Amino acid sequence: MPMNSFSSNEPAAMPRRSFLGHASNGLSHIALASLLAGEARAFQPPGPLRPAIDPRHPQAPRKPHFNPRAAQVLVIFCSGALSHLDTFDYKPELIKRDGQPLPGDSKLITFQGENGSLTRPLWEFKPRGKSGKMTSDLLPNLGNLADDFCFLHSMTAKSNTHGPAENQMSTGFVLDGFPGMGCWVTYALGSGCGDLPAFVAIPDPRGVPQTGTNHWNSAFLPAAFQGTPFNSDKPIPFLDPPEGKKISEASSKRMLELLNKKHQERNPGDSELAARIAAFEMAGKMQLAAKQVGDFSRESPRTLEEYGANDRDNPLKARFARNCLLARRLLEKGVRFVQLFNGSYAMGEGVGNWDGHKFLKQQYSTHAPILDQPAAALIRDLKQRGLLQNTLVAFITEFGRMPTFQKGASGRDHNPAGFTVFLAGAGVKAPFSFGATDPFGYKAVENPLTIYDLHATILHLLGLDHERLSYYHNGIERRLTDVHGKVIEEILA
Amino acid sequence: MDMLLPWILPCLALAAEPGHWSFQPLQRPAIPAIEQVGTNPVDAFIQAKLKEKGLRPNPPASRAVLLRRLYFDLIGLPPSPQEVAQFIQDPSPMAYEKLVDSLLASPRHGERWGRHWLDVVRFAESNGYEMNQHRPNAWHYRDWVIRSFNNDIPYGQFIKEQLAGDQLGSPAATGFLVAGSWDQVKSPDPVLTANQRADELHDMISVTGSAFLGLTVGCARCHHHKFDPVKQPEYYGWKAVFEGVRHGESAIGPAASSTERLQALQQELAKAEEELARLEPLANPKANAPERLAVDPKGNRERIPPARARFLLFRVNATNTGTEPCLDEIEVFAPGGKENLALATKGVKASSSSNYQGSPLHKLEHINDGQFGNGRSWISAEAGKGWISLEFPKEIDIGLITWARDREGRYLDRLPVDYSISLGLAPDHWNIVASSSDRAPINKKGMTPVKQEGALAQLEKRKQELSKELLLLTSPLRAYAGNFENPPPTWRFHRGDPMQPKEQVSPASLRWLAKPFELVANAPEGARRIALANWITAQDNPLPWRVMANRLWHYHFGAGLVDTPSDLGVNGARPINQPLLDWLACELRDSGSIKALHRLICLSAAYQRAGTMEENNSRLDAGARYLWRFPPRRLEAEPIRDTLLALAGVLDQRLGGVGFDLFEPNTNYVKVYNPLADPGPETYRRMVYQSKPRMQLDSIFGAFDCPDAGQTAPRRTSSTTPVQALSLWNSPFANRMAERLAQRIREEAGPDPRKQVLLAFSLAYSRLPEADVEAASLALVEHFSLDSLCRALINANEFLFIE
Repeated sequence: MPMNSFSSNEPAAMPRRSFLGHASNGLSHIALASLLAGEARAFQPPGPLRPAIDPRHPQAPRKPHFNPRAAQVLVIFCSGALSHLDTFDYKPELIKRDGQPLPGDSKLITFQGENGSLTRPLWEFKPRGKSGKMTSDLLPNLGNLADDFCFLHSMTAKSNTHGPAENQMSTGFVLDGFPGMGCWVTYALGSGCGDLPAFVAIPDPRGVPQTGTNHWNSAFLPAAFQGTPFNSDKPIPFLDPPEGKKISEASSKRMLELLNKKHQERNPGDSELAARIAAFEMAGKMQLAAKQVGDFSRESPRTLEEYGANDRDNPLKARFARNCLLARRLLEKGVRFVQLFNGSYAMGEGVGNWDGHKFLKQQYSTHAPILDQPAAALIRDLKQRGLLQNTLVAFITEFGRMPTFQKGASGRDHNPAGFTVFLAGAGVKAPFSFGATDPFGYKAVENPLTIYDLHATILHLLGLDHERLSYYHNGIERRLTDVHGKVIEEILA
Repeated sequence: MDMLLPWILPCLALAAEPGHWSFQPLQRPAIPAIEQVGTNPVDAFIQAKLKEKGLRPNPPASRAVLLRRLYFDLIGLPPSPQEVAQFIQDPSPMAYEKLVDSLLASPRHGERWGRHWLDVVRFAESNGYEMNQHRPNAWHYRDWVIRSFNNDIPYGQFIKEQLAGDQLGSPAATGFLVAGSWDQVKSPDPVLTANQRADELHDMISVTGSAFLGLTVGCARCHHHKFDPVKQPEYYGWKAVFEGVRHGESAIGPAASSTERLQALQQELAKAEEELARLEPLANPKANAPERLAVDPKGNRERIPPARARFLLFRVNATNTGTEPCLDEIEVFAPGGKENLALATKGVKASSSSNYQGSPLHKLEHINDGQFGNGRSWISAEAGKGWISLEFPKEIDIGLITWARDREGRYLDRLPVDYSISLGLAPDHWNIVASSSDRAPINKKGMTPVKQEGALAQLEKRKQELSKELLLLTSPLRAYAGNFENPPPTWRFHRGDPMQPKEQVSPASLRWLAKPFELVANAPEGARRIALANWITAQDNPLPWRVMANRLWHYHFGAGLVDTPSDLGVNGARPINQPLLDWLACELRDSGSIKALHRLICLSAAYQRAGTMEENNSRLDAGARYLWRFPPRRLEAEPIRDTLLALAGVLDQRLGGVGFDLFEPNTNYVKVYNPLADPGPETYRRMVYQSKPRMQLDSIFGAFDCPDAGQTAPRRTSSTTPVQALSLWNSPFANRMAERLAQRIREEAGPDPRKQVLLAFSLAYSRLPEADVEAASLALVEHFSLDSLCRALINANEFLFIE
């Protein structure tokens, strides 16, 4: 059938630009530019490269634009804005000037209002690993893996509000309604795993992150590239028929197959009908595979212990640990993109996530043990199993926090002007640190980076040109990186 | 509206027309003279193109296929077996035409086509972004859209009302302007606030440009448009047009009044109150045993011996959920009095222990503003406790105090279960007059509605119902249709950055396309939108008519004559048959009637062609863009769900009104969307009436490419995924519908399995089964169950595709 979304985004919609896109046919740019009669587009990069998607198998693996360094991605997303100053961005000057006003910006109004004095990190920093990277005691287990990490200390975000900023970190845009990073990646590359969703989002045990499904919604991309959210508490819905129904699974399935077969005989050559039949077969496989991947009974007691998956004293940590274990098992099965969330929507002052405005010490003392051991165990486990060789890990958050405490409070306000994320695994230098904030950790000053740059780099490592991976929507050739972004060459291994 | 208004600046010269096809004046093309075509001009244009491309059109579709196609296309529901039989047996040559007319006249038509328009304008009933709270009165716009399609209001008027309906007697229509996302998270940070406001206006500008003109005006926010001749100052001319538009609710009309009913209600209420006063025990704060009803989220009365006071203290010590207490209103009455003495408008000052932060729904001033419900309530900032104090302007006599968690009865949490009410003549000289100590116990964790028993409870319940109805009858209708304020000056922002304002900009149209306008910088707010609406709908503006004619074509055939329906600009696709598009656009411009266009299209031979594949044609035109066949396509989410309900015989066909919710109620300030485990019959309405949250897709039908309403969706994608297959195969909803369908068949066909099988196919596919399929079906029904057959039928491709 003609009406499949993949081909309808193909040349008919954009005749000249896709011509440009596949312009390996000897026509020079100048000749093209003159063909385009006065429309100034010779400056354009060489056009979109749209993945050739088989409508019967939208998730089949596809070739990247060039040789990739990584084949899979694990994103660990700390919702609520994890303070870089209390974790990975060591600032001796901030410790020295504890209690003094922030120079030059004493009247500064940030998200929640006025700010008080500079406040030293609430946890001690110590050198870790062979590299002696200074990280704090808040996340000691992650800190101990510092030799495997490539820190980006000069990140900046466009918004200082959780909703738009989380949107930007996961979709490239501060507005609602753009596809998640994982949607773009699976749109481009499909998946190596036939019987599980290509893009899995693993929400925190406490609930979905602050902009909820925006992180994994396919928005204007076809729903085939939507992330499937599930975690170790809540499996993929509808894997089994509801109980207590007067239906026979096998016979009704046979009937369905007969109906589809007869219908296809009457409508030969229609690929969308074939696609639906294929999807049904795939669904059958997924019913089994999804249950297997969530079954930890064969994991060794040692593994479970390392993750903290049975920690009775901290049930939230145990549940997050099981999500971490699920992430590893999904990556092992070849799932292309796994986005693991730590922290949920706001459910009270700093309760659900890393949003430490008022009582940062107490709040982070609760959150850190949930994250630290399980996430560190996950990364270590990936490394031990050799999965880090082709998996890129991105540990991210939507923005940073202020070096000051808020006026009249014991916590830090939002700060999009400087924060830290780290990458690990396939294709990136480690141990390595890139970029820097000012001596107080307030603003990125050395090699400032945008979220566009981060996205461009992640796509680059996957063998994708962020300027050419696009999808036509409502008059615009949309990209994950909008019209911005530069691959951070300095950090590539 | 067209009279010369004093704030219009001297007319600018029309800029040279840019050469792009869609910007050229719209002129009616001659209808090609082609032999062997009927009277429908649509076919003349198509035939000419088919001939040019060497394509041979398919024969007409069978009557049954055509009927099904037409039903799904025009009303989004399948024909009943009786309707199929009637049509197939009708010998009249006018039978098809009659059918087209009757479907266009059906109220179901507006529901089907209204949904298409709601996609285009990113309509949803929540705010989006982090908090994503519900917009309780957004549905008025949805109803306006459905009504407008049903009434076939002229297309120009349809546009004008959405931009300036408040000025034109159609105030719900401006729901269009504010149908998009709105960030509820507010901050003292001026940079953030300026950016949020710029984003709101950008959303209005972009959607106005793409919905009505198929022009991405929004692309000129930071710089001149890269492809179309839209200059950056022109973007800011539009921004000045919308500068006074704010998100929010406004009154759209007086209460629906029926004086008779009103009087009857008032009398009945007075009687109930008298009776209550007679029966109702006085509060007894010294008691230790239950003497009065348990606390009720919907309302509580505290009748006390007459007392004099200037101060009242309502102290909460515990709530049923342990979360911060919520009170929607405290009312105070004199002994035997009918007038609420606690209203802020009477000079009563409210103070509190603390106030919930960050939500416009919950504020201290809501405690005595005379408005009820969770949306106008107070919540403290302390878990399980908090207090409210009222100071009256002078000493008053008090005989009754009433309070509730949510008089609208939607919320059951945050209910004070341990509380005391004190009065005093001076601050801090409190005398407890009522408390929870004599209330019947409530399950502290109980979130289930309180079941009160006895005559008093009955009476109280009756009173609450009467009050609710009275409130509905007397409050003005409110809609999420925007507020219109005196606009501040508009500046052009360098690179789109609100922190870099440059020169001031006046409200103006684009300087090209149609005869332009520019208003004085301080032109009145409403006049700005009227001016833009008039400019967009001017007869000499070629775009609105081309854009809408193309959208209609797109929804009938699955692809438009231009297959980028919201971009007819330079970056969009070229028309596959421009003479046809222009001819249709002229029809729309000259008649204004959308239904007339539907009629033309549906009566064309092209629309009635068989959808079957043909190899030669397919080689030349695989996508059937030139319409040698009717291009088959998968149904969208809404008609699939609607059809399941219709087949099961449970579809509730109520037209319009408040939508139904598919998620559990939730009061967290960041709204949490948990799908209802078992949506009941109150959700068995057409899906266009789902109170659709932004960004949060339905757990079953979201996989069928429902747009998320974050951005506009002028064209839906059509995916096929395993998750989709699982949703329809295994979800409790789909299986329940299969079961109900089976039950209906048993009732209508009787116990004979063969009759059951035949009816099942007639209902689900509008046809009878082939012999071998019938045999297999019979075996399935006899050995297992009719339910199993129904489950297979609603999952098969034939069910999901328009052929």
